[in-house]
Amino acid sequence: MKAGLSLVLVASAALLAIGALGLIVKRNVIVMLIGSQLMLTAAGLAFVAFSRFGLGAVNANNGSAVALFAGVAAVTALAIGVAMAAVVYREHDTLLVDEYESVAD
Amino acid sequence: MSTEIQSLAVPLLKGSLPSAITDQPAVLAIYLLLILIVGSALLSVLLRNLVFAIAAFSATMAAVALLYLMLAPFLLFALQLLVFTTVSAALLLGLLRRTSGMEPAPESPFSPELGAGVVVGAALLALVGVLVSATNWPVRISGIASEGFSGSLLNDYVVAVAVVVVLLASAAVGAALLTNQRLARRLRR
Repeated sequence: MKAGLSLVLVASAALLAIGALGLIVKRNVIVMLIGSQLMLTAAGLAFVAFSRFGLGAVNANNGSAVALFAGVAAVTALAIGVAMAAVVYREHDTLLVDEYESVAD
Repeated sequence: MSTEIQSLAVPLLKGSLPSAITDQPAVLAIYLLLILIVGSALLSVLLRNLVFAIAAFSATMAAVALLYLMLAPFLLFALQLLVFTTVSAALLLGLLRRTSGMEPAPESPFSPELGAGVVVGAALLALVGVLVSATNWPVRISGIASEGFSGSLLNDYVVAVAVVVVLLASAAVGAALLTNQRLARRLRR
Protein backbone atom coordinates (compact mmCIF):
# COMPACT_ATOMS: atom_id res chain seq x y z
CA MET A 1 0.00 0.00 0.00
CA LYS A 2 1.30 3.47 -0.89
CA ALA A 3 0.08 7.05 -0.95
CA GLY A 4 0.83 9.09 -4.04
CA LEU A 5 -0.41 11.89 -6.24
CA SER A 6 -3.50 10.13 -7.57
CA LEU A 7 -4.82 9.32 -4.09
CA VAL A 8 -4.67 12.93 -2.87
CA LEU A 9 -6.05 14.20 -6.19
CA VAL A 10 -9.06 11.86 -5.89
CA ALA A 11 -9.74 13.22 -2.41
CA SER A 12 -9.33 16.77 -3.73
CA ALA A 13 -11.79 16.08 -6.55
CA ALA A 14 -14.25 14.57 -4.07
CA LEU A 15 -13.93 17.66 -1.87
CA LEU A 16 -14.53 19.90 -4.89
CA ALA A 17 -17.62 17.91 -5.87
CA ILE A 18 -19.02 18.02 -2.33
CA GLY A 19 -18.44 21.78 -2.21
CA ALA A 20 -20.19 22.22 -5.56
CA LEU A 21 -23.06 20.08 -4.26
CA GLY A 22 -23.46 22.34 -1.23
CA LEU A 23 -23.23 25.48 -3.33
CA ILE A 24 -25.71 24.40 -6.01
CA VAL A 25 -28.22 22.15 -4.26
CA LYS A 26 -28.58 23.78 -0.84
CA ARG A 27 -30.57 26.98 -0.37
CA ASN A 28 -29.19 28.08 3.00
CA VAL A 29 -26.56 30.84 2.80
CA ILE A 30 -24.40 29.28 5.52
CA VAL A 31 -24.24 25.89 3.76
CA MET A 32 -23.50 27.66 0.46
CA LEU A 33 -20.62 29.54 2.09
CA ILE A 34 -19.32 26.24 3.52
CA GLY A 35 -19.54 24.75 0.00
CA SER A 36 -17.47 27.57 -1.49
CA GLN A 37 -14.87 27.15 1.25
CA LEU A 38 -14.66 23.41 0.55
CA MET A 39 -14.06 24.09 -3.14
CA LEU A 40 -11.22 26.52 -2.42
CA THR A 41 -9.72 24.08 0.11
CA ALA A 42 -9.84 21.36 -2.56
CA ALA A 43 -7.86 23.61 -4.90
CA GLY A 44 -5.23 24.22 -2.21
CA LEU A 45 -5.00 20.49 -1.52
CA ALA A 46 -4.41 19.79 -5.22
CA PHE A 47 -1.60 22.37 -5.34
CA VAL A 48 0.04 20.79 -2.29
CA ALA A 49 -0.31 17.32 -3.82
CA PHE A 50 1.36 18.41 -7.06
CA SER A 51 4.15 20.18 -5.19
CA ARG A 52 4.79 17.08 -3.08
CA PHE A 53 4.39 14.28 -5.62
CA GLY A 54 4.22 15.75 -9.12
CA LEU A 55 6.44 17.74 -11.44
CA GLY A 56 5.98 20.73 -9.16
CA ALA A 57 8.24 18.97 -6.68
CA VAL A 58 11.22 20.37 -8.61
CA ASN A 59 10.42 23.56 -6.68
CA ALA A 60 8.22 22.32 -3.85
CA ASN A 61 7.66 25.76 -2.31
CA ASN A 62 5.60 27.06 -5.21
CA GLY A 63 2.62 24.77 -4.64
CA SER A 64 2.58 25.46 -0.92
CA ALA A 65 2.75 29.22 -1.53
CA VAL A 66 -0.22 29.05 -3.91
CA ALA A 67 -2.14 26.94 -1.37
CA LEU A 68 -1.42 29.59 1.26
CA PHE A 69 -2.72 32.38 -0.96
CA ALA A 70 -5.78 30.29 -1.84
CA GLY A 71 -6.47 29.90 1.88
CA VAL A 72 -6.19 33.64 2.46
CA ALA A 73 -8.49 34.32 -0.50
CA ALA A 74 -10.98 31.78 0.90
CA VAL A 75 -11.06 33.44 4.32
CA THR A 76 -11.39 36.88 2.72
CA ALA A 77 -14.28 35.70 0.54
CA LEU A 78 -15.93 34.14 3.58
CA ALA A 79 -15.63 37.37 5.58
CA ILE A 80 -17.27 39.36 2.78
CA GLY A 81 -19.93 36.67 2.26
CA VAL A 82 -20.78 36.56 5.97
CA ALA A 83 -21.07 40.35 6.12
CA MET A 84 -23.31 40.42 3.03
CA ALA A 85 -25.47 37.63 4.42
CA ALA A 86 -25.85 39.53 7.70
CA VAL A 87 -26.94 42.67 5.81
CA VAL A 88 -29.42 40.75 3.62
CA TYR A 89 -30.77 38.93 6.68
CA ARG A 90 -31.48 42.31 8.28
CA GLU A 91 -33.68 43.19 5.30
CA HIS A 92 -35.47 39.87 4.73
CA ASP A 93 -35.29 38.00 8.08
CA THR A 94 -34.20 34.75 6.43
CA LEU A 95 -31.05 32.94 5.31
CA LEU A 96 -32.81 30.99 2.53
CA VAL A 97 -31.93 32.36 -0.91
CA ASP A 98 -35.25 31.22 -2.40
CA GLU A 99 -37.00 33.70 -0.14
CA TYR A 100 -34.78 36.48 -1.50
CA GLU A 101 -35.88 35.61 -5.04
CA SER A 102 -39.56 35.68 -4.08
CA VAL A 103 -39.09 39.05 -2.36
CA ALA A 104 -37.40 40.39 -5.49
CA ASP A 105 -40.33 39.23 -7.63
CA MET B 1 11.86 24.48 -32.94
CA SER B 2 11.75 20.93 -31.65
CA THR B 3 15.33 21.25 -30.38
CA GLU B 4 14.34 24.33 -28.39
CA ILE B 5 11.39 22.52 -26.80
CA GLN B 6 13.61 19.60 -25.86
CA SER B 7 16.22 21.87 -24.32
CA LEU B 8 13.51 23.49 -22.20
CA ALA B 9 11.94 20.21 -21.15
CA VAL B 10 15.04 18.31 -20.14
CA PRO B 11 16.03 20.43 -17.10
CA LEU B 12 12.47 20.16 -15.76
CA LEU B 13 12.32 16.40 -16.08
CA LYS B 14 15.87 15.79 -14.89
CA GLY B 15 15.03 16.88 -11.32
CA SER B 16 14.61 13.96 -8.94
CA LEU B 17 10.89 13.56 -8.43
CA PRO B 18 9.80 12.37 -5.00
CA SER B 19 8.23 8.94 -5.07
CA ALA B 20 4.97 7.98 -3.40
CA ILE B 21 4.98 7.52 0.37
CA THR B 22 5.46 3.83 1.23
CA ASP B 23 6.05 4.01 4.98
CA GLN B 24 3.06 2.01 6.21
CA PRO B 25 2.09 4.06 9.33
CA ALA B 26 2.29 7.28 7.27
CA VAL B 27 0.24 5.74 4.44
CA LEU B 28 -2.37 4.54 6.95
CA ALA B 29 -2.52 8.02 8.52
CA ILE B 30 -2.97 9.63 5.08
CA TYR B 31 -5.78 7.20 4.19
CA LEU B 32 -7.53 7.88 7.51
CA LEU B 33 -7.18 11.64 7.09
CA LEU B 34 -8.55 11.53 3.54
CA ILE B 35 -11.54 9.47 4.69
CA LEU B 36 -12.09 11.95 7.52
CA ILE B 37 -11.82 14.91 5.12
CA VAL B 38 -14.35 13.52 2.63
CA GLY B 39 -16.71 12.18 5.32
CA SER B 40 -16.82 15.36 7.39
CA ALA B 41 -17.14 17.52 4.26
CA LEU B 42 -20.14 15.44 3.20
CA LEU B 43 -21.65 15.83 6.68
CA SER B 44 -21.08 19.59 6.65
CA VAL B 45 -23.15 19.88 3.48
CA LEU B 46 -25.86 17.35 4.33
CA LEU B 47 -26.55 17.99 8.03
CA ARG B 48 -29.70 19.97 8.73
CA ASN B 49 -28.50 21.30 12.10
CA LEU B 50 -26.27 24.26 11.19
CA VAL B 51 -24.19 24.11 14.38
CA PHE B 52 -23.27 20.49 13.64
CA ALA B 53 -22.66 21.41 9.98
CA ILE B 54 -20.17 24.11 11.02
CA ALA B 55 -18.53 21.66 13.45
CA ALA B 56 -18.16 19.11 10.62
CA PHE B 57 -16.70 21.83 8.37
CA SER B 58 -14.17 22.71 11.10
CA ALA B 59 -13.26 19.02 11.35
CA THR B 60 -12.65 19.00 7.57
CA MET B 61 -10.35 22.04 7.80
CA ALA B 62 -8.47 20.56 10.77
CA ALA B 63 -8.00 17.25 8.93
CA VAL B 64 -6.68 19.15 5.89
CA ALA B 65 -4.23 20.91 8.23
CA LEU B 66 -3.03 17.53 9.54
CA LEU B 67 -2.59 16.35 5.94
CA TYR B 68 -0.54 19.48 5.21
CA LEU B 69 1.65 18.53 8.18
CA MET B 70 2.61 15.36 6.32
CA LEU B 71 2.86 16.78 2.79
CA ALA B 72 3.72 20.49 3.02
CA PRO B 73 5.90 22.91 5.01
CA PHE B 74 5.09 23.29 8.71
CA LEU B 75 4.10 26.95 8.22
CA LEU B 76 1.19 25.96 5.97
CA PHE B 77 -0.04 23.45 8.58
CA ALA B 78 0.13 26.08 11.33
CA LEU B 79 -1.69 28.70 9.24
CA GLN B 80 -4.35 26.22 8.12
CA LEU B 81 -5.02 25.06 11.68
CA LEU B 82 -4.63 28.29 13.65
CA VAL B 83 -5.90 30.88 11.15
CA PHE B 84 -8.01 29.43 8.35
CA THR B 85 -9.88 26.84 10.47
CA THR B 86 -10.56 29.04 13.50
CA VAL B 87 -11.38 32.21 11.54
CA SER B 88 -13.76 30.34 9.19
CA ALA B 89 -15.55 28.65 12.10
CA ALA B 90 -15.75 31.92 14.06
CA LEU B 91 -17.17 33.82 11.06
CA LEU B 92 -19.81 31.17 10.35
CA LEU B 93 -20.79 30.85 14.02
CA GLY B 94 -20.95 34.64 14.26
CA LEU B 95 -23.32 34.76 11.29
CA LEU B 96 -25.41 32.01 12.82
CA ARG B 97 -25.58 33.85 16.10
CA ARG B 98 -26.57 37.14 14.43
CA THR B 99 -29.41 35.40 12.62
CA SER B 100 -32.17 33.14 13.85
CA GLY B 101 -30.21 29.95 13.34
CA MET B 102 -28.79 29.76 16.83
CA GLU B 103 -30.59 29.75 20.16
CA PRO B 104 -29.59 32.52 22.58
CA ALA B 105 -27.42 31.55 25.53
CA PRO B 106 -29.45 30.03 28.38
CA GLU B 107 -30.00 32.07 31.52
CA SER B 108 -28.76 29.35 33.87
CA PRO B 109 -24.98 29.30 34.32
CA PHE B 110 -25.02 25.49 34.77
CA SER B 111 -26.33 24.39 31.38
CA PRO B 112 -25.40 21.20 29.46
CA GLU B 113 -23.69 23.38 26.82
CA LEU B 114 -21.44 24.89 29.50
CA GLY B 115 -20.58 21.39 30.75
CA ALA B 116 -19.69 20.24 27.23
CA GLY B 117 -17.57 23.37 26.71
CA VAL B 118 -15.71 22.81 29.98
CA VAL B 119 -15.01 19.17 29.05
CA VAL B 120 -13.71 20.11 25.57
CA GLY B 121 -11.61 22.94 27.02
CA ALA B 122 -10.14 20.68 29.71
CA ALA B 123 -9.34 17.98 27.13
CA LEU B 124 -7.56 20.53 24.88
CA LEU B 125 -5.63 21.92 27.85
CA ALA B 126 -4.56 18.40 28.85
CA LEU B 127 -3.49 17.69 25.25
CA VAL B 128 -1.41 20.88 25.13
CA GLY B 129 0.14 19.99 28.52
CA VAL B 130 1.08 16.49 27.33
CA LEU B 131 2.55 17.88 24.07
CA VAL B 132 4.56 20.58 25.85
CA SER B 133 5.94 18.19 28.46
CA ALA B 134 6.76 15.47 25.91
CA THR B 135 8.49 17.81 23.42
CA ASN B 136 12.23 18.25 23.45
CA TRP B 137 12.64 22.04 23.18
CA PRO B 138 13.78 23.80 21.00
CA VAL B 139 12.06 21.92 18.19
CA ARG B 140 13.97 21.29 14.97
CA ILE B 141 11.53 20.50 12.18
CA SER B 142 13.02 17.98 9.81
CA GLY B 143 11.89 16.45 6.55
CA ILE B 144 10.26 19.31 4.65
CA ALA B 145 12.18 22.57 4.42
CA SER B 146 10.12 25.15 6.30
CA GLU B 147 12.95 27.66 6.29
CA GLY B 148 13.12 27.50 2.49
CA PHE B 149 9.38 28.06 2.29
CA SER B 150 9.50 31.11 4.55
CA GLY B 151 12.45 32.50 2.61
CA SER B 152 10.62 31.88 -0.66
CA LEU B 153 7.54 33.75 0.64
CA LEU B 154 9.57 36.76 1.74
CA ASN B 155 11.72 36.91 -1.42
CA ASP B 156 10.00 35.40 -4.46
CA TYR B 157 6.45 36.15 -3.31
CA VAL B 158 6.91 39.39 -1.38
CA VAL B 159 4.59 41.36 -3.71
CA ALA B 160 1.93 38.64 -3.46
CA VAL B 161 2.22 38.70 0.33
CA ALA B 162 1.77 42.50 0.31
CA VAL B 163 -1.30 42.15 -1.93
CA VAL B 164 -2.70 39.53 0.45
CA VAL B 165 -2.19 41.85 3.42
CA VAL B 166 -4.07 44.66 1.62
CA LEU B 167 -6.80 42.20 0.58
CA LEU B 168 -7.28 40.91 4.12
CA ALA B 169 -7.29 44.39 5.62
CA SER B 170 -9.85 45.56 3.03
CA ALA B 171 -12.02 42.52 3.75
CA ALA B 172 -11.88 43.12 7.50
CA VAL B 173 -12.74 46.83 7.15
CA GLY B 174 -15.41 46.12 4.51
CA ALA B 175 -17.05 43.41 6.60
CA ALA B 176 -17.07 45.64 9.66
CA LEU B 177 -18.61 48.50 7.65
CA LEU B 178 -21.24 46.25 6.07
CA THR B 179 -22.39 44.91 9.43
CA ASN B 180 -22.36 48.31 11.10
CA GLN B 181 -26.05 49.12 11.56
CA ARG B 182 -25.60 52.87 12.11
CA LEU B 183 -23.58 53.25 8.91
CA ALA B 184 -26.12 51.19 6.94
CA ARG B 185 -28.92 53.46 8.15
CA ARG B 186 -26.93 56.56 7.17
CA LEU B 187 -26.26 55.15 3.70
CA ARG B 188 -29.95 54.36 3.21
CA ARG B 189 -30.81 58.03 3.87
